[in-house]
Amino acid sequence: MDPLSASLKIAGSGMEAQSTRLRIVSENIANARTTGDTPGADAYRRKTVSFGAELDKASGATLVGVNKLGVDRSKFVEEFDPSHPAADERGIVKMPNVNLLIEMADMREANRSYDANLQTIRQTRDLISATLDLLKGQ
Amino acid sequence: MQPIQLFELASRQAEWLSVRQEVVATNIANANTPKFRARDVTPFDAVLQSAHTAMARTNPAHLAGETVGGDRIGIEEEALSNEIGVQESGNTVALASELAKTGEIKRQYELNTQLVKSFHSMMMSVVAR
Repeated sequence: MDPLSASLKIAGSGMEAQSTRLRIVSENIANARTTGDTPGADAYRRKTVSFGAELDKASGATLVGVNKLGVDRSKFVEEFDPSHPAADERGIVKMPNVNLLIEMADMREANRSYDANLQTIRQTRDLISATLDLLKGQ
Repeated sequence: MQPIQLFELASRQAEWLSVRQEVVATNIANANTPKFRARDVTPFDAVLQSAHTAMARTNPAHLAGETVGGDRIGIEEEALSNEIGVQESGNTVALASELAKTGEIKRQYELNTQLVKSFHSMMMSVVAR
């Protein structure tokens, strides 16, 4: 595969990986207040995503892909709310370990990386069209 | 009469630039990959001198090093940038300098194709009636 088509493929894989990351961030934000429904039950655990470089055998290009979807094992936030269905005998409810500030920062970074990949695609397209312009008549 | 070498030179530079674009695209796509080290191609003048330092492969089962385009263009680890150094995750991609590099590649590539175009029209003016 010629390098310019490979560049398009690589940037495409980067965009796919970053959009998976955005999906995980939006799941975390949407479930920021999701608790269990039986007394003392665990709440929603924050999900994490990690990337890995992978060699594409067909083109020899180094693509990027989602390596692992994991969960954040840190402690739940405990809130006192005896009227909640998930409250235990002391009236404590386990709230998800989602920190909105962290999710927002993650979302910003995913957005920025997505834009960078998009810019690569634009540039590569310009290079290809500069090459094709050579074929046009004088 | 001397043979005309400009077309060969131009196509080698275009090849080098497109390989460099691929390497930069890899760096940008892996800007958030843990333990990924940023890479770059060897400079064009080194490619021009065609310092053939790759080890000879006498058997197809031998592993080729990281070279593209007829073993002329080598790919090496990029020097650490002052902007970020090594990130917490072990990644060394500086996104801003990679984007600046794609701009530079585009500018050089356009200069290259424009030169080929004007040289071609010069040749056509010789043969045209």
